[in-house]
Amino acid sequence: MRFEVAASVAEAVRMLAAEPGTTRVLAGGTDVLVQLRSGLVEPDLVVDIKRIDGMREIRAEDGGFRIGAAVSGAELGEDAGVRALWPGVVEGMELIGSTQVQGRATLAGNLCNASPAADSVPAMVAADAVARVAGPAGERDVPVAQIPAGPGKTTLAKGEFIVSIFLPARPAGSADAYLRFIPRTEMDIAVCSAGVSLTIGGDGTCTAARVALGAVAPTVLLVPDAAAALIGSKLDDAALDALAAACSAAAKPIDDKRGTVAFRKKVAGVLARRAAVIAAERARG
Amino acid sequence: MSFDTRPAAFTVNGRQVEIEAAPTERLSHLLRERLGLTGTKVGCDAGDCGACTVLVDGMPQCACLMPAARVAGRQVTTVEGLASDGRLSALQAAFLRHGAAQCGICTPGMLMAAAALLSVNPRPAPAEAEAALGGVLCRCTGYRKIVAAVCDAWADAPRPAPVPAGRAVGAPVARLDGPPKVTGADVFGADRWPAGALWVHVIRSPHHHADFSFGDLAAWQAATPGVAAVFTAADIPGRNAFGVIPPFADQPALAVDAARFRGEAVALVALEPGAAEDFDATAFPVTWEELPAALDPEAAKSAPAIHPARPGNLLIRGLVRRGDPDAALAAAAHVAEGAIETAYVEHAYIEPEAGCAYMDGETLVIHTCTQAPHMDRDDTAVMLGLPPERVRIVATSTGGGFGSKLDISIQPLVGLVTLKTGRPARIVYTRGDSMRSTTKRHPARMRARIGTDAAGRVTGQVFDGDFNTGAYASWGPTVANRVPVHASGPYSVPNYRAEARAIHTNGPIAGAFRGFGVPQATIMQEVLYDQLAADAGIDRLAFRQLNALTDGESTVCGQRLSAVGIGACLAALEGPWSEALAWAADAPAGPVTRGVGIASCWYGCGNTALPNPSTIRIGVTAAGEVVLHQGAADIGQGANTVIAQIAADALGVALGAIRLVGPDTAFTPDAGKTSASRQTYVSGRAAEAAGRALRSAILRHANVAEGASLGFGQGTIVIDDGAARHVIDLAALAEGRDGYVFAAEETYDPPTTALDADGQGTPYAVYGYGAQIVELSVDTRLGTVKLHRITAAHDLGRVINPVLAEGQIEGGIAQGIGLALMEDYVPGRTENLHDYLIPTFGDVPEIHHILIEKPDPEGPFGAKGLGEHVLIPTAPAILNAIRHATGALVTRLPATPDRVLAAIRSKGA
Ligand SMILES: Cc1cc2nc3c(=O)[nH]c(=O)nc-3n(C[C@H](O)[C@H](O)[C@H](O)COP(=O)(O)OP(=O)(O)OC[C@H]3O[C@@H](n4cnc5c(N)ncnc54)[C@H](O)[C@@H]3O)c2cc1C
Ligand code: FES
Ligand code: FES
Repeated sequence: MRFEVAASVAEAVRMLAAEPGTTRVLAGGTDVLVQLRSGLVEPDLVVDIKRIDGMREIRAEDGGFRIGAAVSGAELGEDAGVRALWPGVVEGMELIGSTQVQGRATLAGNLCNASPAADSVPAMVAADAVARVAGPAGERDVPVAQIPAGPGKTTLAKGEFIVSIFLPARPAGSADAYLRFIPRTEMDIAVCSAGVSLTIGGDGTCTAARVALGAVAPTVLLVPDAAAALIGSKLDDAALDALAAACSAAAKPIDDKRGTVAFRKKVAGVLARRAAVIAAERARG
Repeated sequence: MSFDTRPAAFTVNGRQVEIEAAPTERLSHLLRERLGLTGTKVGCDAGDCGACTVLVDGMPQCACLMPAARVAGRQVTTVEGLASDGRLSALQAAFLRHGAAQCGICTPGMLMAAAALLSVNPRPAPAEAEAALGGVLCRCTGYRKIVAAVCDAWADAPRPAPVPAGRAVGAPVARLDGPPKVTGADVFGADRWPAGALWVHVIRSPHHHADFSFGDLAAWQAATPGVAAVFTAADIPGRNAFGVIPPFADQPALAVDAARFRGEAVALVALEPGAAEDFDATAFPVTWEELPAALDPEAAKSAPAIHPARPGNLLIRGLVRRGDPDAALAAAAHVAEGAIETAYVEHAYIEPEAGCAYMDGETLVIHTCTQAPHMDRDDTAVMLGLPPERVRIVATSTGGGFGSKLDISIQPLVGLVTLKTGRPARIVYTRGDSMRSTTKRHPARMRARIGTDAAGRVTGQVFDGDFNTGAYASWGPTVANRVPVHASGPYSVPNYRAEARAIHTNGPIAGAFRGFGVPQATIMQEVLYDQLAADAGIDRLAFRQLNALTDGESTVCGQRLSAVGIGACLAALEGPWSEALAWAADAPAGPVTRGVGIASCWYGCGNTALPNPSTIRIGVTAAGEVVLHQGAADIGQGANTVIAQIAADALGVALGAIRLVGPDTAFTPDAGKTSASRQTYVSGRAAEAAGRALRSAILRHANVAEGASLGFGQGTIVIDDGAARHVIDLAALAEGRDGYVFAAEETYDPPTTALDADGQGTPYAVYGYGAQIVELSVDTRLGTVKLHRITAAHDLGRVINPVLAEGQIEGGIAQGIGLALMEDYVPGRTENLHDYLIPTFGDVPEIHHILIEKPDPEGPFGAKGLGEHVLIPTAPAILNAIRHATGALVTRLPATPDRVLAAIRSKGA
């Protein structure tokens, strides 16, 4: 196994593309180190991207924010601008691991590790976040929802990696929220989770919404029916019940010792409903 | 996997280091293995336990997740860097003061996470401390004392005054072995090894049941770099069978031909120093042929016998019978009936098994974490074909045990490698090794019926339970015998029949875990008591008071009791109980409901109806130093301190004047096992006797009457009887055995009798009692349970050390919480600390303790045992509180949210 520290995006792409064997990008390393240790993966090449210029920056852009691929959860949480615009994404990221893990874990790493239970991903999908992917053919922008391909798999091609994640601008009266369900109080993997982003018009009507669920399918699940239940409503009980029902119906969880299918489907609805209530409270200020 | 190495230069505790390291070498490995900074602990190697927390540029980081390449140029601070000029930091002192370190294995991680918090927030609120330390797991303390210590670290508390002679018993002294636990100097199983030690890798069965055969081991060894030797069962010189109860010894150190559970050891690979990191175990030449496995005890009863001599896979049956329970139940005014099922529970101490071995002349010396040094020695000797005196076990500090480190694990394995190669060897279990191969709490399937008369007095009980004991006997017989004796709870039950069976399966071996099956059986009994109280229309606490055993009454074994403390415990809970009921009644409207529950415990201290002697030696050197040979393994529970407190007062010397030796089979007499809540009582009695004997010998020598004070030191003993001072010049005395001028060694064995065929007799000489109230709320939409407060009243007979006693209570409660709400070990699925959940800071609520003293004349200074009692009431009180909150009883543990929700729904349906 070779270990390289890339000095630029181009160099990282060159290294990743030139290696015929398996490669791993190293961001925070909170997944990679565990996988190396347990012998789950034995890459031929590990490329450290943390030293690349700009990787650790959060930049305001077009009313939104561009978050470098090596920005840690702790750094994201300290950014008042991001926290104000996308509180749900920040709270999803901040739920990852302990203080120790927070100092290192990244949004892009969480996304590319491609766990169905990844905590930042439903909120990013609800936010319609966009990943900027660098590769041998140059850079391309890909909606976050299209990155995970299944447990542990992404749609990134050989030589490609994520350089930043863009959280877009949003109109006044907008907010988001993320909730997860875990049996223990902290340091646990989601049994089910929900991210909700919405906009409320001047008259209290919901004008836009996106709802995403985690841990109830092989990849994050966008639930348009749930969003449709909110849009045009005043977020009254009937709309929220319809949202919950749409989420329970859309969830396709597996049965395991952390929760039965029936339980996870029900909880998906309850969580999405509660997240929508929180997002609405935030949107109303 | 192999790497090119490159120099990494960084600063550790202010010292500049430069070292060749592979870029993805973990910082934890670098610090421990190469820089000798073993204060940083490794509990999981996966970011889950936080024991490895260090500061990197002031920020807390898991050293096991930090690649060497990322440390270059940075400042690393480890626990060894906290004290300056030999002075403890205020934080370290606060940990000692509050009893925040028990076994101490989590302490370095806790301290480093706390140090990072305090550097930005010197006076944190409890919630802030919990949030900052939430990534560090502790299995001993229940976290409350850690939070208290962190929040109190700003206070410059004066050093506590030394305890004067004769005042040690009852004093809240800090643990005597505490300072090294907060500086990182304490030596655990993985922390020291001889230079050049071979690294032992264990090859284990990936199947629950499989035949296996080896390929060409010699050829593989020759072709694989770094392999010094390979050993299989064929290499074991002695009897390849061990077991904690000799007549049942059935477990091979290395399996022969067939593996009977997933994780069973089949071969050892001894690797040259440094070769372990690159070693690829998947290439080891073994072929597995998977066989049908019996995993469910019900199915196992009709499956082929796992051990041919045990048809029906029945290891043993335990029975206690008294009166005519069937007639009593038939005539009862109220009868409650039910079934409860519990899961495998993993001990999850933060220290995986570890140790090293070397030859000292003809003697094989093994340093290891353990709960039973002498038993380790005797069993290892038998397996390796050596006389016991050729094996020496040196107990390192033990990072938690809770029952599982009673059984042999690494001892014969590392011993075999050293014996065969003549070279020092070491072994450090990974978290996965530890979870896969060591014992668990027995999963139980129990049914019971209990009846009362119209006034609510219990008239009869029938209990029946299958306990899944896994592939080998371990402590299955003890569980089968203890359960029927205790399944009545501390209540008067005139007509009774209880049967418990230990059933073999191909599941993990179930052995000893705090309570030996009694926690499971108590769940069954206590949930039915709530039902009976409701049926009889009596308050639940009052119902228990009505039925509680009193002095002079007989147990289900026909033993007439004295010093019964359950009545006092329940009486002490009357006030908290009414407050708790008022709190529950005051729940705000909405989906979150409140409930309170109560449950009791009793527990006999020491082995059940079997001898279990302890021997303690105390000597005085010619220099006047008092040396206590303390062979009771301290696994965090505090034997090093409690036994010394007892010995100090018996002898009449200041606690601070005592030097501790041991446990070490070469230097300490056998103080038995740290099990069955016996050390404070049994070894304590031996220490008391030894202290008194030594005192008499000294007084006799000086011809001074009892009641005089003794002063040791400066080559003399000064005896003051009020009238005169007598000085014994120690240099003038002949040194006896072990170089002491005065010495005493005393043995104590509890006076018990064997049980007859109906389980009648005196199984224990001393019992401890307790009861707990749990207040909680349930989110009835999600099924989540949030604990609000726990109030625990325990009768300790005499409180030897209140700080340590509270620590036991809080830690036991935390384990009871895990048993009730989250812990469920599934082989192949939960072999790590992120899939196997143990309670963390947020899961353990505020705990109030009420210490009751109802002295038992049999105990030292009246003391009874406590270690196991404390976890028994917690789980049933939680289940009773959930039922109070929701109307629904969860009958299968753990009560995970999906089960709580299902119970609520099925009740509604
Ligand atoms: C104790 C502990 C607790 C945890 N708790 C949680 C939790 O509660 N919720 C949760 O969701 N996760 C949790 N995790 C998992 C992990 O911390 C997160 O997935 C984290 O966000 C990963 O980020 P990272 O930067 O450390 O990724 P890395 O480990 O560096 O990388 C993860 C994966 O993504 C790839 N990768 C990284 N960056 C890029 C990039 N820019 N472009 C392409 N590929 C990339 C890597 O090659 C690797 O395959 C936990 C981990 C630990 C150790
Ligand atoms: S050893 Fe690093 S977190 Fe457990
Ligand atoms: S003191 Fe925390 S694990 Fe033992």
